[in-house]
Amino acid sequence: MTDKIKTKFSLGRGIIWVALTLFSAVQLFPLIWLIDFSFASNTEFFTSNLLIIPREIQWGNYPKAFTDGHFLLYLKNSLVVNTLAVAIVLALSICSAYAVTRMRWKFSQTAKNIILLGMMIPIHATLIPNYMIYDFLGVRDTLWSLLLPYVAFSLPQGLFLAASYMESVSKEIEEAAIIDGCGTFRLLGSVITPMMKSSLITVVIMTYLNNWNEFMMASTYLSTSKWKTLPFSILEFTGQYRANAAVQFAVMTLTAAPAILIYVLLSKHITKGVSMGAVKG
Amino acid sequence: MKRILVLFLAAVMLFGAAACSPSGQPANGGKTVIKVFSNLPDRTTGQGLVEQKIFDQYIAENPNVEIQVEALDDEAYKIKMKAYASGTSLPDLISVWGQPSFLDGYIDAGLIAELNPGDYSEYGFVEGSLAGFSKDGKLYGLPRNTDMIAFYYNQKLFSDNNWSIPTTYDELLALAPKIAATGISPVAMDGNDKWPISIFITDLLVKIGGTAYQPETLKAISGGDFSHPMYAEAARLLQDAYDANLFQPGFEQQDYGTAQNLFINGQAAMFYMGSWEMSMANNQEIDPEIRENIRAFTMPVVSGGVGVATDIAAWNGGGHSVIAKSPVKDEAVKLLNYIYKPENWTKIAWENNVCMSAQDFSQYKTGSETPVQLQLIDIFAGATSISGTTINDLGSADFKTKFEDLSQQISIKSITPEGAINALAD
Repeated sequence: MTDKIKTKFSLGRGIIWVALTLFSAVQLFPLIWLIDFSFASNTEFFTSNLLIIPREIQWGNYPKAFTDGHFLLYLKNSLVVNTLAVAIVLALSICSAYAVTRMRWKFSQTAKNIILLGMMIPIHATLIPNYMIYDFLGVRDTLWSLLLPYVAFSLPQGLFLAASYMESVSKEIEEAAIIDGCGTFRLLGSVITPMMKSSLITVVIMTYLNNWNEFMMASTYLSTSKWKTLPFSILEFTGQYRANAAVQFAVMTLTAAPAILIYVLLSKHITKGVSMGAVKG
Repeated sequence: MKRILVLFLAAVMLFGAAACSPSGQPANGGKTVIKVFSNLPDRTTGQGLVEQKIFDQYIAENPNVEIQVEALDDEAYKIKMKAYASGTSLPDLISVWGQPSFLDGYIDAGLIAELNPGDYSEYGFVEGSLAGFSKDGKLYGLPRNTDMIAFYYNQKLFSDNNWSIPTTYDELLALAPKIAATGISPVAMDGNDKWPISIFITDLLVKIGGTAYQPETLKAISGGDFSHPMYAEAARLLQDAYDANLFQPGFEQQDYGTAQNLFINGQAAMFYMGSWEMSMANNQEIDPEIRENIRAFTMPVVSGGVGVATDIAAWNGGGHSVIAKSPVKDEAVKLLNYIYKPENWTKIAWENNVCMSAQDFSQYKTGSETPVQLQLIDIFAGATSISGTTINDLGSADFKTKFEDLSQQISIKSITPEGAINALAD
């Protein structure tokens, strides 16, 4: 009897294992493909095979990506721009979500809707008007010319996620905190924000990944290499008609690495229900 | 927590202020700074390399000049150029396309400086090459290269299989099933980028209408009337190619690199592309078996067409112009003139096998030219007429988008020739 249960148990586990392995293989395939091709030469690139075994492993693609692609400078810029954008989006999302869900004022819903409308504006439509504004303000080709649009385009999403989550946080906790003498900012910082951790981490990841790969705005608002971000590295290997695809793959592998790292570090928080237990007892 | 928040916000502001204050103006120590906006982002190969080499040379000869290059690829370049045009701080020397679809708007806005044609009498520009860069008899830019379109083919593959070079369009189509029978694609075509298909149409128009192609097309675009029979005929011929499976399967979704690699990996017998690809014959990464056998021919004649075999589709595409309001306009013009001295662009481009310049390059022949390079020179030298700007670039920017979209639709038969002509007239 016990044997039977055991086999059943391990068979079930086996199926789960196989399914999960298959699933991860499918999920990881693009990454493996990217790394595989980054060691190939340019002419081996277009083959009918799924993966290739390079005739000769092209280690040289990586040093080339580093030096000719100005990888380190662009990586630093990407990290600075993205970290600041995430921090500002986070701070503004929390504050504005609190203002539109908890505070009572006449235009709170209108204000929320206006900000959410931002989600419907295509980036391309804003390029030239924004360029003219930045030019007028003298912030073209500075950190601000990236930070402002990145924050502005990520904020609607951030507000949407934060506000919908905040609505589900029970008011009793807030009331208890206020009775205990908590001010608005303390309430936000010490009570509400920790409970919203999972939704805020989603905001962080989405903002980070969206802006990490952004190129259209960066290429329009920046001129010198001072604040250029990682996607420019790929451009350095684009000829007039065709590209040095192998080195571009090496750049993309290097570019993907920090983004993957951030995702791996933060992903467990997404599924974690933080507010569970907070109202317990 | 409140304190942390306040500290954090303060830090953000400080950082921002620090990042903002020295707004990008480099210390130039009394040097003249020429800002160049280029559409050649890869500065280590091809035309980007040639341009960079000339700049480096110029700086070495003029130590008081600093050249700052900003480079973006075509699409991003065109968007950024519009942004520049609407702002106050423009670059000094820019890449341009000698085509009304790109240049006219900027010339009309007074952004482009007029050049003195007399300065270039000794430069050996090929006859007609300055036309695309001129408007109302005034010269606004100089052309970098002469481009022509050709079918590159693998000579060995052709002789092994007893295929002969088609002399008529019907022969070309008849060849397609024979090639397909050997398991490879007849012609590798970059259908995803659309412009190669528009060039294919231009090529057909030249063979149908001969020298009438350009005057008729300019008339058709300005009047919005494409009822001249050559347009419907070109569309029909392109659709015949679709019926004959001349291009690789799914060509409309395959881009430049994919199409090219079909050819250089031996999966396609021919590759339809511009003369700038003659450098394939020098690319050491390509299998010598294929590399050494690359040859080229131009669009064969079509039955009932006026154009003869030596009426070819060729044009002068890219070039440079100077911004009229540039604070260092004179220096920028000097640099422009330096780039186009025959011993600079023409010589360096030819020696590096990058492209045919728009100037007379016969004196810079090295004797080590590849067979395909010599073939292309011969075709060009023996041409009885050249088409000039391709049809997609003869109108406005909107016309370009519309025409290229329609070219692709015609090529996969998702629109009839008549439907396309009606759509163009709208």
